Amino acid sequence: MKRFLPLLILAAASILLAQAPNQATLRAPTGDRQVTITHVNGQTLFAADEIMAGVGGSVSPDATGFKASLNNTNAAFGPDSRFGVVRDELIEMPIAPAIIEGRPYVPLQFLQGFLNKAADLEVVWDPVGRVLNVRPTQHTIIGVQLSVANIQGISKVVVSLSGPADYTIIKEQSAYTIGFKTQIRAPFAAQTYDDPYVAKAAFSGRDLRLDLRTPDAGADAYKLENPFRIVLDFHKVAPGAATLPSIVIPSKPVDTPGIHTIVIDPGHGGKEVGAIGPDGLMEKDATLTLCRKLADNLETKLRTRVILTRTDDSVVPLDQRTAIANQYKADLFLSVHMNAAVVKGAHGSETYFLSLEASDELAKKAAEVENAAGKAVPAAGSSDLKLILWDLAQQEYLAESSRFAQAVQEEMNRATGVQNRGVKQAPFKVLVGATMPAALVEIGFITNPEEEAKLKKDDFQKLVIDALTTAIARYKTDYETRIGVIRPSAGAEKRAGTE
Amino acid sequence: MISFGQRSTISRFAIVGLLLVALACKRQQPLSGNLNVENKVAMRTVSLYYESPELLLAPERRNLPLPENPAAALDLVMRELLKGSVNAAVSRLLPADTIVRGAFLLPDGTVFVDLGGPTLTQGWSTGSHQELMAIYSVVQTVTANFPDAKRVRVLVNGEPAETLAGHVSLSRALTPVPSMVVR
Repeated sequence: MKRFLPLLILAAASILLAQAPNQATLRAPTGDRQVTITHVNGQTLFAADEIMAGVGGSVSPDATGFKASLNNTNAAFGPDSRFGVVRDELIEMPIAPAIIEGRPYVPLQFLQGFLNKAADLEVVWDPVGRVLNVRPTQHTIIGVQLSVANIQGISKVVVSLSGPADYTIIKEQSAYTIGFKTQIRAPFAAQTYDDPYVAKAAFSGRDLRLDLRTPDAGADAYKLENPFRIVLDFHKVAPGAATLPSIVIPSKPVDTPGIHTIVIDPGHGGKEVGAIGPDGLMEKDATLTLCRKLADNLETKLRTRVILTRTDDSVVPLDQRTAIANQYKADLFLSVHMNAAVVKGAHGSETYFLSLEASDELAKKAAEVENAAGKAVPAAGSSDLKLILWDLAQQEYLAESSRFAQAVQEEMNRATGVQNRGVKQAPFKVLVGATMPAALVEIGFITNPEEEAKLKKDDFQKLVIDALTTAIARYKTDYETRIGVIRPSAGAEKRAGTE
Repeated sequence: MISFGQRSTISRFAIVGLLLVALACKRQQPLSGNLNVENKVAMRTVSLYYESPELLLAPERRNLPLPENPAAALDLVMRELLKGSVNAAVSRLLPADTIVRGAFLLPDGTVFVDLGGPTLTQGWSTGSHQELMAIYSVVQTVTANFPDAKRVRVLVNGEPAETLAGHVSLSRALTPVPSMVVR
């Protein structure tokens, strides 16, 4: 640290020096011009009217603050908020814009967000030369290479990329389409393969379409870095799973963000009976009964797509339950269980979300395995890597999973009036690998004779189903409000209820 | 596919671990069939964790003659834990027919506890809470009595198991969870 001290002092000094002048150069496609800048709390702010004039737009005061206009696109901003609004999207700024002598000054992030959306312009600030560069966005073209190989019964499709790229994978009957968000340079238009699963690969625009030989192939998709690549493993879906999930609603990909698809997982099944009550009630039966009714209720009341990981008394492996949710691109995952304890009198519900090893340690391990694998296509035995990636999947959703678990537990407590056994974290296998907010609810202790008796009763089941529906509705409204899909005031109360 | 890779990794780890433990013993003194003779045995107070009426893990102190070598002592402490509480009102957490097939400590602080027995082999039917308590009674007992032990990986019949009863993932070593233990 000490070694860097002179550098830090130098950097601090240069910032102090740069604060004095209040002129900068705007370098726009139409030419250079001088613009006024200022500094607030260490942040550089730019005179919005001068910048907008320089790129052919304007700024005018409006009822609540200011309005910037360019190419018939408007953005609202003001000194009271770190957020600007352009169309329906928010632009986040490190500090709120400032009004100095009646003139609005905005942070760089506002200019970047607005000019990108209004005119596809890129804004780069050079603090040393004090030049604000505004130029058409450089659309990088991503080179794509493709390889298909069948190793030990699994067909591995490796899509190697020349750089990072955003994409979506859409599953259809007998085909997968990778839709890139950036422009791509494809190696060929179409190619056929002599592979047990993959029949043909074809590029069209920004899409790569993989046609399969059989509709019953399952796929695991994951992305790797250094170099960037997308890997799809096609394999035969495990016996008994071919019929799952049995509620098939046309898989129209939903592009708008929000909670549209919910996977409900009835715990256990088949020979895996789960906990057993003193009167013989089995966890696997209690969860299935409850989840079927819950699915109906959710579909009717929330008008969301609901998928059950099992609809009958069958064994479904734990990782397949999560895989089903991932495959359907579910937005929410709830596993439903009945609890057991050796302590007499244990009662009440509890809700869990996943606990993981420290993420940096996992990430380090992933990098080690990845590096050890070299640059070649991951070998068939790259299961260590797969395991680690699977473990990391839920990581980025933990904060949301925690909020979801909280909503579930609160509604369960409210409905049943039992003591708060609270939201907890545990390394539950069924939650590992879920690429969406995920929680596991323990409805009650089946080992407690009183709770076992209640679990069999229709009115108690209805109470629980209503509580879970309300919890899911609450979380859905909360989430969609936070990401700006629905407005905070727009009937949040009405939507949260189960009507 | 996962289980194959995992299995080979684990057995590789296990073999390396056993070799290291064996080498460590050998360096100090010649290895004999009876570690109790070779290692100084002393009375030690150990804490065995069982579930309290508040649904938390609570220590039960017990005096045991233990070899100083933690590799040998671990195994004995695990067997003692599985005997259950001296208090008849405190129930067993693991199935009564569970056995300890072995327990060993790797130099990095990971302890492998290898469990077996008919119930765990055929599939244990219980709920999340009991399964969590059973597994963490092992994790807590190991880490509380052996300062070098940082985390515990539970195996079943010498192999990695997905879970004991369908809930708690055993695919990684587990570290103690203080909120599960009485203060």
